[in-house]
Amino acid sequence: MKRHAELYLLFLPVAVVYIVFRYWDISLGFVAVFKEMRVGQAVWTSPWVGLDNFRMIFANPNVVRTIRNTIEISLLRLLFGFAPPIVLAIIFHDLVWVRFKRVTQTLVYLPHFFSWVVLYGLVFALFSTGSGLVNNVLAGLGFQRVEFLLSTGWFRPILIGSDIWKSMGWGSILYMAALTNVDPGLYEAAVIDGAGPLKRIRHISIPSILPVIAFVLTLTIGNILRAGGEQILIFYNEAVFEVADVIETWVVRVGLGRFQFGVGIAVGLFQSVVGLILIVIGNAVSRRLAGRGIW
Amino acid sequence: MGLKPRGSELGYQVVIFCIALIVSISALFPLLYVVGVSLTSMPELISRNYFVIVPRHPTLSAYHRIVQNPTIWNAFAISVARSTVGPLLSLVVMVLGAYVLSVRTLPGRRTLLMLIIFTMLFTGGLIPRYLVMRRLGLLNNFWVYVLPMLPDAFGLLVVKVFIENLPDGLLESAEIDGATHTQKLLFLAVPLAKPALAAVGMFAVVNHWNSWFDALVFVTRRNLYPLQMVLRNLITADNFHDAAIDILGDMTRVDTVSMRMATVVIGIIPMVMLYPFLQKYFVHGVFLGSVKE
Repeated sequence: MKRHAELYLLFLPVAVVYIVFRYWDISLGFVAVFKEMRVGQAVWTSPWVGLDNFRMIFANPNVVRTIRNTIEISLLRLLFGFAPPIVLAIIFHDLVWVRFKRVTQTLVYLPHFFSWVVLYGLVFALFSTGSGLVNNVLAGLGFQRVEFLLSTGWFRPILIGSDIWKSMGWGSILYMAALTNVDPGLYEAAVIDGAGPLKRIRHISIPSILPVIAFVLTLTIGNILRAGGEQILIFYNEAVFEVADVIETWVVRVGLGRFQFGVGIAVGLFQSVVGLILIVIGNAVSRRLAGRGIW
Repeated sequence: MGLKPRGSELGYQVVIFCIALIVSISALFPLLYVVGVSLTSMPELISRNYFVIVPRHPTLSAYHRIVQNPTIWNAFAISVARSTVGPLLSLVVMVLGAYVLSVRTLPGRRTLLMLIIFTMLFTGGLIPRYLVMRRLGLLNNFWVYVLPMLPDAFGLLVVKVFIENLPDGLLESAEIDGATHTQKLLFLAVPLAKPALAAVGMFAVVNHWNSWFDALVFVTRRNLYPLQMVLRNLITADNFHDAAIDILGDMTRVDTVSMRMATVVIGIIPMVMLYPFLQKYFVHGVFLGSVKE
């Protein structure tokens, strides 16, 4: 028993940082969300207001718009961003020219380590109206310049495209790991049986990464109310708020910036609660269909 | 294997080779382009319609201007400070938690583990965090960059799985010799878990280096801004020239395009330098172990 006391003592600093920097936020959120938050007043002394803060979410058309944008952008990210890492992993797995494969892998993993600030710098270099490469090529060919960064039509393609550019290499690593665990004998046997490359992908590669696909999907679904606010906060501007403003950016700009704490806290908890519910459901479905969940 | 080279196999290799080639070129090209522009003077950029990868008359003037700027150096120092102090303290928390939670006989172990995993799935949100930081007096305080990042649940799990997967008996043999847990932690677990700690630590460095959001939310004093936050204010400015005057106090006329690009390159360089070390770890797959648990 004395040995356990020592272990709990070693764990004490861990408990302290998790309580202070995680659980305090959470409990404060759950109390404050049922209170009327006034600037300069402590949470404990503020009056209780029941579900008013949650009602204000849906009474505010701007917040409703951010929820819709959030879901749309998340779904678009899923739709366009889901396949590239899988394709890349299969390509890396099947390429026979090992040296070329190494170089390619090195290059496509790299952007994962850049900040969104840097990513926006790259996007600006390519797509800005005056000095952007793409626009200068367009102008050189006699076309009109396009205000890519200020247009509601181009905002999402650029947002999602640059995200895919940044993360697809890194995303392929999980699938690669699953593919390298497949018994090479399976592929050899398939070749002897006359199965071509596409047949092998369909009958060996895809089935063997199915659990990883389920894993990634579950996490993605759980994050459907998080649309990548850090990226959007850098990429967006007033001209594109209509299609770009999401829950995270609204909470920073209005909730915190203009002291709308009540709605800000409510919408933040809404994100977390919905996310948790979805991930629990996703986990159950994944267990049933793919034979394995995320826990 | 002695396979007959068949048409479809060769065709497949050619197709995937081409896709991989296109993907790598598209990964590399923007970087080369930004470096190229950053080294080119404004007149040459305009005369060549901004289509510059290799400048005819390369110039470091954009970098000179940035390197001479005290604001950039101050921000750089803040970034270096948080990227060393932060990961080191995070590692202490991670290894303590990982070691304790790897002891299977510990009563309440599962509950503690669930409470830690829960923080990955559920957060209180930004405003409650802001209120907590305010309460702790961490607004406009360097430690706001470090302390909230200490509970790194993912890193803790990675280290925990690594310790659990150490060969059986390594930790148990010490038990027989009568070593205390603190001794086992310091003299067995830490040295043995070095690969996992190095990997997780590296990624903590990357996280810290690339962070700017915490500065945006919790910090208003500009001399506490880390490099990424200063770069953000410069890069996202509508008018780079005005921003350079405002942020850098740089009153002389600048080649705004090449200087903006030089700012981007400065944001990239440290990661490119760190990259070979990072690659060593993630290719090894230290991280994948924890995902399988």
